[in-house]
Amino acid sequence: MNAELSLRLPPETASVSTLLDALESFADAHDIPMATMARLNILADELAANVAMHARGATHFEATTRYADGTLTFSIADDGAPFDPLAQASPDTDAPMEDRDIGGLGIHLVREMATSCAYHHDGSRNILTLTLAARAE
Amino acid sequence: MQITKSTQAGMHVAVMDGRLDTATAPVAEGELMAMLATPGLVLDMTAVRYVSSAGLRLLLKMAKDAKGKGAKFALAGLQPAVREVFEISGFDKIIPAFPTVADAAA
Repeated sequence: MNAELSLRLPPETASVSTLLDALESFADAHDIPMATMARLNILADELAANVAMHARGATHFEATTRYADGTLTFSIADDGAPFDPLAQASPDTDAPMEDRDIGGLGIHLVREMATSCAYHHDGSRNILTLTLAARAE
Repeated sequence: MQITKSTQAGMHVAVMDGRLDTATAPVAEGELMAMLATPGLVLDMTAVRYVSSAGLRLLLKMAKDAKGKGAKFALAGLQPAVREVFEISGFDKIIPAFPTVADAAA
């Protein structure tokens, strides 16, 4: 099995819905387990939302999903100012409700749920790539 | 995201269907916050496929608001991907979650 989906979208919130709808169809078409699809969509939501809301000067982003040998590889590239979201500090997930601040939680989910994730800048674009092993449970 | 209102054992219940993410959380917020009243609100999340950090932000806001109003706030029927997000974010320690709406409303 070797499948690929690539989308080029404007950096806005509506694009996040477009991307998630496309990923759900992609998962259905290629029999990707529901649990894996859910993880992929959560992480895609976080990364696309990050670009849509925070990428300074970005004119578009490109999301590419590959499924091969039971592993999903998802990458998102944007042409905004260089920024490494993985360099942010993790939130304190043990804090009581009154003290909980939501900042950084999205990237925390990416770090914890992805099998691997990495950032690089290719000279013109921020590129964040993550992998997820397909799991049924 | 579709939200259907009902009641269980005197508690307000919002039956949610869809995903709670960057695009849908701001839309769901107005409707859910309006339902947040004493004695309390249960969110039936059996048909919520996943929750991203935008959804967590809304749930945290609701939990804080419920506390301020003296209302109970609980979740029911979390799917595996939602439970996983709750555990990783520490939300399982700050928002009570139950297997069923009946348990949550008890």
